[in-house]
Amino acid sequence: MSSRVTRPSRQRDYHRFSPDSPIVIDNGSSCFRIGWAGETEPRLSFRNVVQRPRHKASGETVTIVGDYDPSLMKYFDCTRSSFRSAFDNNVVYQFEVMEYVLDYGFERLGAGGSEVNHPILMTECVCNPVASRSKMAELLFETYGVPSVAFGIDAAFSYKYNQHLGICNDDGLAICTGLTTSHVIPFVHGEPVVEACCRTNVGGQNITEYLKQLLSLKYPLHTNSITLEKAEDLKKEHCYIAADYCSELKLFQRETKEAEEKTRCWQLPFVPPPQEEPPSEEELARKAALRERQAQRLREMAAAKRLSKIADLEADLNALENLMSQLDAAEEDEIPAILYQRGYASREEIESAASKAAQSLRKVKGEPVDAEEKAEVSLEEKYYLVNVPDNMLTPEQMKEKKKQIFLKTTYEGRMRAKQRKFEEELQRERQNQLEEERRLENPELYLEQLRTRYKELSEKVEQRKRPKTNGSHTNGNGSVGRGERLNAAQRERMRLLTTAALDRGKGEDTFGAREEDWQLYKLMSRDNDDDDDNERDEEEAELARVASKLQEIDPTFVATTDGGALQGGSGGAAADAARGRPLTAEDFKISLGVERFRCPEVLFRPAMIGVDQAGLDEMAGVSLRRLSAAEEVLEGLCRSILLTGGGCLVPGMGRRLEVDVRKIRPFLSAINVVTAADPVLDAWRGAAACAASSGFPQQVFTREDYLEKGEDWLRRYRMSYIL
Amino acid sequence: MEPEIIEAEILLPPALSFKKIQMSEKYPKGQSRSRHWKHLKQILQAENFQAYSPEEPNYLNIESPPSAYPPKKFCDITGFEAPYVDPRTKMRYANADVFKRIRYLPGDSIQRYLSLRNAAVVLK
Repeated sequence: MSSRVTRPSRQRDYHRFSPDSPIVIDNGSSCFRIGWAGETEPRLSFRNVVQRPRHKASGETVTIVGDYDPSLMKYFDCTRSSFRSAFDNNVVYQFEVMEYVLDYGFERLGAGGSEVNHPILMTECVCNPVASRSKMAELLFETYGVPSVAFGIDAAFSYKYNQHLGICNDDGLAICTGLTTSHVIPFVHGEPVVEACCRTNVGGQNITEYLKQLLSLKYPLHTNSITLEKAEDLKKEHCYIAADYCSELKLFQRETKEAEEKTRCWQLPFVPPPQEEPPSEEELARKAALRERQAQRLREMAAAKRLSKIADLEADLNALENLMSQLDAAEEDEIPAILYQRGYASREEIESAASKAAQSLRKVKGEPVDAEEKAEVSLEEKYYLVNVPDNMLTPEQMKEKKKQIFLKTTYEGRMRAKQRKFEEELQRERQNQLEEERRLENPELYLEQLRTRYKELSEKVEQRKRPKTNGSHTNGNGSVGRGERLNAAQRERMRLLTTAALDRGKGEDTFGAREEDWQLYKLMSRDNDDDDDNERDEEEAELARVASKLQEIDPTFVATTDGGALQGGSGGAAADAARGRPLTAEDFKISLGVERFRCPEVLFRPAMIGVDQAGLDEMAGVSLRRLSAAEEVLEGLCRSILLTGGGCLVPGMGRRLEVDVRKIRPFLSAINVVTAADPVLDAWRGAAACAASSGFPQQVFTREDYLEKGEDWLRRYRMSYIL
Repeated sequence: MEPEIIEAEILLPPALSFKKIQMSEKYPKGQSRSRHWKHLKQILQAENFQAYSPEEPNYLNIESPPSAYPPKKFCDITGFEAPYVDPRTKMRYANADVFKRIRYLPGDSIQRYLSLRNAAVVLK
């Protein structure tokens, strides 16, 4: 990462180059390299991307080309801009982005003056569409005032450069894997045969993307940590190409020791959650004391309240008794006046008030209140009217009877509920006892049974929940349609709803005229459709019970909502099992096993990522077929197969290609696969050497040439690669 | 601008002396910036390749043909060779363990697995 963010500094020697010396640009879709003809290293090399974020302080949109230090990101608002590339499948199509990149390239190269007064040699892909090529020429001529331009294929430059170094022969195959595409170009007598080229739209970026997707699907918990940059680093560090993909897979499937050794781990930073320390003795004592003090205070308050209430009631009682004695002592004709004065209607009323007060007093003082018992005993007496026939009662008594019947039934109902509760308790007690016995008899068997029971139940509950949670996703692929998911009641409800919705405004609306019409709403309401709610509740209750039981007796038990541990091939279950127990560093470990060679395999099997094209090995065969040359020529080509482009840096590529090309070649024919001296930079170096050759000035075309000769000429324009 | 940014020299100057037409002249501010370019598909269509001889190489006809090898099926989750296909989700799987796991996967991650090999259900 750190190497990528070093920004190139502006070159100071631009003015020392004469206007004849060409500028060489390797315009690769991953990297833009620019330098001078005849030199061995490009002056600048940066990622071929542009970002246009908003500067937070000033609010203006700025342009940033290439990679940069992410710590500077805090000054910019990147919410509406991301890295933009000028390329689609190796073809430049967004010339605005391209212009920014060229601006930056020339600026860093040190360009000054009123125009870029140097011939340009630029690389492009094989068979670049004329529209793209002419637009690029136009941009260079019109905007930068370039005197002349030449275009060449990057892979061809790389091959020629390596041929120059003696790594490959006059005749050979260049296999070039770029960011998004792979090419195979045959060379005969040192010239590329464009007619026999072939291209598959799979490259290094697809590997990275595939790795990122696989890992984030395998570890849903860490999706945010698995960025494209991280995936790129992991790819560079760990990915390799298996010599024989299927046997390598079997190695991992059988979980052999070798596979284990090949598995790599990436530990994400993990900070264990703060452990809650058990409170110390003093702390506990202090808390208990505090609680005790509070309780004491409450008790005191209650006692004080009680005392004051007793005093009140006693005072009341005394007052009433006084009144009674006063009444006893008073003359007959004085009584009404006294009663009226105190607000009472009769003597009886005073008596009842006095008895009530006495009863409350007893209650407050905590003396036994025998009202309940009295009720028990005198159930018959209390509801004395219930059994008396109606015709023997006065209307007033009838009313009283009704009241008594009501009171009696509610009382009986209460009693019944109490009884039932008691019985249930007894039943549960008995069951518990039974289980306890079973447990003591054979603890292991019991535990096992409990576990299976738990698993069954949890699966059942889970199964029941599934259609509800993800029903909409399985919808649409044939076998699981909408209709299948609904039960009869739900279907009926849907029917009612649709008819109600579509019925509107047809004919005369008589809805609501009859009483039954309103029943419709009851049928429509959602609560109506859960027939099996009861059963589900029971199951869930049972599940909770079993889980609590397990938790009690099994220390290793972890309540998962998952159907069980699934440890197949990859440790993907780790994240699932993480629910319900605290996360450990183990959960933050990302293991790369099969992925290490599964991802680069897309170069050989594009079908794995849904690209219906031949892989690298078959492409070589296709290219040889398209060449339709004599067998000796093909034999010669296979003796010099050159791997170039950033994608072939994956280890094991050469060995694998050798094995696979052998399959398509006649028995015992010679095959030699070599990797370019520097698969990434050789294209630029070849181009720089070519631009410095004496034949280069004849290869370029000027703006006048381009305008004069027209598009058809540009279509046929082809560089001859002479170093 | 903060000194840190200026020091890092990450910003492209808005005007450059060596350009005949500056960015701001070509793409004036405030003007709709949408679509002054064509997608690759449109470019290729405009190339009118069928007017030329099929012998002549062009961007389209140098593409590789589909693979001639019998396609091997691999498990969507583990990557192992997959003899089975789940009829409900259309996921390929290697063994019973993986099948169980597929059945517990939420629908959207199933679709994401499928879209990796371009087999997801696309609603239009």
